[in-house]
Amino acid sequence: MSSLTLRNLKKRFGRVDVIRGVTLDVADGEFVVFVGPSGCGKSTLLRMISGLEDVTDGELRIGNRVVNEVQPAKRGVAMVFQSYALYPHLNVRDNMGFGLKVRKVPAAERQQRVSEAAALLKLDALLDRFPRELSGGQRQRVAIGRAIVGHPDVFLFDEPLSNLDAELRVHMRSEIAALHKRLGNTMIYVTHDQVEAMTLADKIVVLRDGRIEQVGSPRELYEQPDNIFVAQFIGSPKMNILPAGSAAGFGAQPAGAVSVGVRPEHLSLVAPEKGQIGGKVVISEYTGASSLLHIRLDSGETCLVVVDGDAPEADMKVGLLAGTDNLHHFDTDGMALRKSRLLM
Amino acid sequence: MIGSLTQRQLRAVKQICWTLALCVVAIPFVFPFLWMISSGLKGPSEIFGQPSLIPTSFRWNNYLEVFNYQPFARQYFNSLYIAVTVTLLTLFISSLAGYALARLRFAGAALVALFLVSALMVPEEVTIIPNFFLIRWLGLSDTHWPLILLPVFGSQGIVGTFLMRQYFLALPKELEDAGKMDGLSRFGVWWRIALPMSRPALAAVAIITFLNSWNLFLEPLIFISSLEKFTLPLALSNFTDPYGSPLWHLQLAATTLAVLPILMVYLIAQRQIIESFALSGVKG
Amino acid sequence: MTARDERAPWLTLKMREAMEAWLFISPTLAGFLIFFVGPLCAVVWYSLTEWNLLSQQSVFVGLDNYDDALFHNLDFWQVVRNSIVFAIGLVPLNMALALALALALSRRFAGVVFFRTVFFAPVVTSAVAWAIVWKFLLQGEAGFVNQMLAGIGIHGPNWLREPDWAMVAVIVTRVIKMVGLNMILYIAALQAIPRDYEAAARLEGASNWQIFRMITWPLLGPTTLVIMVITTIGSFKVFDHIYLMTGGGPENGTLVLAFYIYQQGFQFFDVGYASALAMIMFVIVMGLTVVQLALRRRDT
Ligand SMILES: Nc1ncnc2c1ncn2[C@@H]1O[C@H](COP(=O)(O)OP(=O)(O)OP(=O)(O)O)[C@@H](O)[C@H]1O
Ligand SMILES: [Mg+2]
Repeated sequence: MSSLTLRNLKKRFGRVDVIRGVTLDVADGEFVVFVGPSGCGKSTLLRMISGLEDVTDGELRIGNRVVNEVQPAKRGVAMVFQSYALYPHLNVRDNMGFGLKVRKVPAAERQQRVSEAAALLKLDALLDRFPRELSGGQRQRVAIGRAIVGHPDVFLFDEPLSNLDAELRVHMRSEIAALHKRLGNTMIYVTHDQVEAMTLADKIVVLRDGRIEQVGSPRELYEQPDNIFVAQFIGSPKMNILPAGSAAGFGAQPAGAVSVGVRPEHLSLVAPEKGQIGGKVVISEYTGASSLLHIRLDSGETCLVVVDGDAPEADMKVGLLAGTDNLHHFDTDGMALRKSRLLM
Repeated sequence: MIGSLTQRQLRAVKQICWTLALCVVAIPFVFPFLWMISSGLKGPSEIFGQPSLIPTSFRWNNYLEVFNYQPFARQYFNSLYIAVTVTLLTLFISSLAGYALARLRFAGAALVALFLVSALMVPEEVTIIPNFFLIRWLGLSDTHWPLILLPVFGSQGIVGTFLMRQYFLALPKELEDAGKMDGLSRFGVWWRIALPMSRPALAAVAIITFLNSWNLFLEPLIFISSLEKFTLPLALSNFTDPYGSPLWHLQLAATTLAVLPILMVYLIAQRQIIESFALSGVKG
Repeated sequence: MTARDERAPWLTLKMREAMEAWLFISPTLAGFLIFFVGPLCAVVWYSLTEWNLLSQQSVFVGLDNYDDALFHNLDFWQVVRNSIVFAIGLVPLNMALALALALALSRRFAGVVFFRTVFFAPVVTSAVAWAIVWKFLLQGEAGFVNQMLAGIGIHGPNWLREPDWAMVAVIVTRVIKMVGLNMILYIAALQAIPRDYEAAARLEGASNWQIFRMITWPLLGPTTLVIMVITTIGSFKVFDHIYLMTGGGPENGTLVLAFYIYQQGFQFFDVGYASALAMIMFVIVMGLTVVQLALRRRDT
């Protein structure tokens, strides 16, 4: 059993409330990603699960155990750090075997488990090297290997790929996905990177200011954000939010809607007279596969649009079209009104 | 003619002048050492004769006499083992305390730090009288214990504590977290992760502690009365004739023996040693 | 399976951490209480008693010892005067020389390491050895220094036998011994000053002196303050140097506070009086420290 249950978890540093009541269920074998703006408490929450930070209030369960006051090493969790945190004075083999040694696992078994993990991560050839003799990607694999050999119930990752260059990051991402498939463990993963979150997660948890904004699959978050914050946080470039009045041209709005959201990739460009809404191109940024247009609407707001292929030049007048199922309506508090979907 | 010098030549001339000036200033810093070595090889009659850096005849016999005059070898060994003991104890105790102050969260940490710092400012002369009675009450007069206990638990230990604390604060925390996840106890994290990463700070503490103990004078003067328990500084001050005037040739030979090894080590590791002092000086 | 509740074991993580922390600092703290706080309290008590080490009796006498020192004992004021002269002679000389050397040695040139090594060498040398050698060099007629002076036609004084010259000798030799320490503190501070400032000023045509006056010196302010306080407090602690070079003489001409405490306590066994002196020293040093803190706060 390695499910995870957080009940109204709170953390206070001195007088600052950093985690303000988080309730979350993570099923056995699930891959959960924490995202949120910098300083929202992702690392803190992860470190509370690991036991590196104590819990101020609430209940934390791993499997059947309440682990609030259990020491980190006795929780059955392993952690992979952003800086890798490899012991500089130990070689790869000893780095991976260190935890086992501390726990007095017999040498033969230790050897076997390190070899298994090394084989899995293609580290066999590097076992006698020291961390300083490894590339960033290799160090990352050793850090993961160190987590694996302990056979933990839950893996915790804190921005494990953020020190790697873009290409390696894509590669390691797929390796982590493969690893999850293979081991089937529960994994909790903190990242800044949208694409990482969307591709890896079974379930994304969006945090803001120490609170959960929304929990759901990547698709749910993208298609049915609960509020403006999540709507704008998930997806890139971020969702356009227009006052209901300015967006009236897109069609009927449910009662109480004060703003309307539509993603840049869901808007299409047509001739000015054919558009639901009209505007003028301010900037046109060519990004290769597509172009990003900044459009000043006739009502005065600025709106982003992604177009594939040929893009109009700056200063051209254009018309905009949006499908009704791509519209999101929000009330005065910024909460989503789901009725628009029921109307379809 | 100055006028015909190029800019570059001018700079070279200037540099040479500067260097010469520095050489002159350096004389009172270097010459005492040379004169000490030289005079330690002269006989009592030559020592105040016509000044000459090279003795007319080398009286190596002075060095033998040094060991016959008082148990100098024993005294030398005393200084050495006391300094080593003080250094090891200080390293252990101050790195433990420094680690707690840097890394562990507990109520009162700031207050403890403040108390310790304030003790740094107080000269040992202020507390030496009660400490004398304390040591006597403990029955440790005329033993080496006070020469070990007072430095370790006095300002030397506190300087060490804050040097270590400063260094620990600057270390990345994630390695220690990794250690905790790997199942190390707090003591294990300190011993097996924090300490191995703190070699430069440990070296700095070791250097200044060792020298401090090696050069300690007031405490031996007050606590030690038997000759064979003397430490070097006390022994050096003790080369006198029955009327109390110095036996210069012996005293200088003995001083040479005491100073030269330290100076050798200093010349080899001058960079590291100077840096250690810079580190501790900035703290104080 | 029922949930095992380990939420409230007898030791929470937080309590455990605090306990470990106290355990880690306990040796230091115990030593601090035994060898510093305790003695500090004791010295207050001693200073209020008349305690003769020989007769082993102690009598409470109130502030008599302080009264003695401040109003009756002529030695005391001479000691205070000596300590102040010593500090006023030593501190500016030390700091000026340290700064000059640091300015000369803060940039790279062939031999810079050699000179730094040389100027710092007396710092690692024991004060006892340094004092012995200098005492030897400064002997009357036959001493090396006077022989050299005689060589250029100057009849040098009997350095350590004339009160005023003895004070000069003690100050100068102490400065040579310790100046290296302040020198490296200054060098560190100088090297921390970004080169851009100097370059910019040079482009505007500033002279070396102007650069020093307008840029270097103000930026060294905090360092100068720290060095000044450390050196001043250090000058009050000097004991071994004076003990060996002059023994406080001649005619008490170099008898400073630290030495006076030793003399009264351990040579004349007047514990009460010596303790009162120690308290006075404590107050002086604490006063200096407070001044430093106040200046530092104003600075930042
Ligand atoms: N030990 C601590 N003491 C006091 N405040 C802390 C401590 N650790 C974190 N905080 C504060 O808690 C808040 C959350 O920090 P945390 O590191 O969890 O953010 P994060 O979401 O991981 O941010 P990032 O994306 O930048 O890594 C921040 O405001 C931080 O300043
Ligand atoms: Mg973080």
